[in-house]
Amino acid sequence: MATYPQNFRFGEFVGSLIWLILWILIIVTLVGLPLIFIVLFYIPLPPIGNQVLTPYLFLTMMVDPSRTIPIIHQLMTTDLFRVAMFPGFTYAALIAAVTIFVERKFLAKMQLRIGPLYAGKIEGIFQLIADGLKLIAKEIIVPSGADKPMFWAAPIMFVSTAAAVVALIPAAPGYVVADTDVGLLAVFAILGFFPLIALLFAWASNSKYPFIGGLRALHQMIAFEIPFILSALSVVILSGTLNLTGIVDSQIQSYWFIFFLPISAFVFYISSLAELERIPFDLPEAESEIVAGWLTETSGMIYGLLQLGSYVKTYALAALFVVLFLGGWAGPMVFPPQIQTPIINIAPLYDQQAANATLWFTLKTFGVIMLMLLPRGISPRIRIDILLHTGWYKLIVLAFINIFVALALIYGGILGPGGLLVR
Amino acid sequence: MAGETAADFTPILYMLGFGLLASVPVLILSRLISPRRRYNPVKFLPMECGQMPTGEGRSHFMMQYYAYILMFVVFDVMSIFLYAWGTALFSIPRVATLPIIGFLGIMFAAMGYALYLAGRKGIW
Repeated sequence: MATYPQNFRFGEFVGSLIWLILWILIIVTLVGLPLIFIVLFYIPLPPIGNQVLTPYLFLTMMVDPSRTIPIIHQLMTTDLFRVAMFPGFTYAALIAAVTIFVERKFLAKMQLRIGPLYAGKIEGIFQLIADGLKLIAKEIIVPSGADKPMFWAAPIMFVSTAAAVVALIPAAPGYVVADTDVGLLAVFAILGFFPLIALLFAWASNSKYPFIGGLRALHQMIAFEIPFILSALSVVILSGTLNLTGIVDSQIQSYWFIFFLPISAFVFYISSLAELERIPFDLPEAESEIVAGWLTETSGMIYGLLQLGSYVKTYALAALFVVLFLGGWAGPMVFPPQIQTPIINIAPLYDQQAANATLWFTLKTFGVIMLMLLPRGISPRIRIDILLHTGWYKLIVLAFINIFVALALIYGGILGPGGLLVR
Repeated sequence: MAGETAADFTPILYMLGFGLLASVPVLILSRLISPRRRYNPVKFLPMECGQMPTGEGRSHFMMQYYAYILMFVVFDVMSIFLYAWGTALFSIPRVATLPIIGFLGIMFAAMGYALYLAGRKGIW
């Protein structure tokens, strides 16, 4: 328990803070700025507008907000921005963070509870920050006999693999980290790593419950992998491409594929619930049977990273659902062609198409995420033999029904090149 | 469709690296600021609901899943073959769908027989 020292004075505390700020200022001026200058001399800077960028010009542009705009505009076209900010990590982590909070409040309201309330004045809005601070300050206990390198590496691998899935999802026209011709297959390939990581972590824990949980994760993934892949096959038949941007474009040219392939969308939704280990398919972490499944021996930030990874994965699969069935970023235009801002003119940064696309994509993704959270409030966990029976007997057959529907649509001349419903 | 090089996939590796960059410092920071008390050996025992753990942590047990694994290997390959066909559907003649339907029929007959045997013997 934390206690104040006996001779605590608030004035001295504030004074020490001021001293700290002073020292930081001195160090930044004497060491930081020269270091930035040296680095800027050695990296090649791009031309901005019609002038060559030099370190001097860069620093003058940085202090004037209106002249920083071209630099930001230049930065927004780089790979770094795509990877770190918009369709990449920060966007996904932000949506994951919002999802964690919304899930707790949403489930609480559904079950006539209140949910987090105390952190932050309004409805416990800072609960996530409080949880993060708690997790980062907790001791990480590695069980005796555990495989230490694997135990530490598995959460990191989980988060970065989830990030690699996000890299393939297009969030707006042109805003995709890796625009490959076989995007859909690459998504399936990367998703195949998750049960392996779960199994590795379970094996590394040297404990019985995690081991059972890891094996269950493997079984579940194997039972639902084939309906997952087959339900996306009907989308590929209708659009004729594996590139995710191409799939969205073909939906913009005709209609959203969920109208033609509702059964596929249903199968995809059920199998992604199983892939995400969410209720009713959370057998790998069934807390009333095997403590916490493969997460039993996690503590502190290892648990935090695994949770972050699983919510980033939730975002990735919801976004994949939107891309495959709900027309991606398609939606009516709500933004004006030009905008005026009072103090700093950010007009060069504004792109009407991209803003509109981002809005609709985020809204649809949130809708699908809410749909994925819904069963947790209303459904019990199902037995493992029913799970395997569902995966192997029912979902595969349902997926095949829609493959034949898609074939009929193509050969009947309704969709595909020169079809009736293609605009 | 333009040819694809391995370099088109490097952004995925960038993203993987950024995931590493974002998560490794968090673990290091947590290690720096969290307490580390080592005086109690019981604390580091594997979790077994408060009892002293008995036996091996990584034990062998019968999972009765072998036949499903075999089916998975077969049908995973089948679905990837179907992807190759589905992508090229617009550019191949319509007659080429008939062999694929035959292929599906063979696979489904085999799968139905396997599932029927599974249900009858009750081994899984």
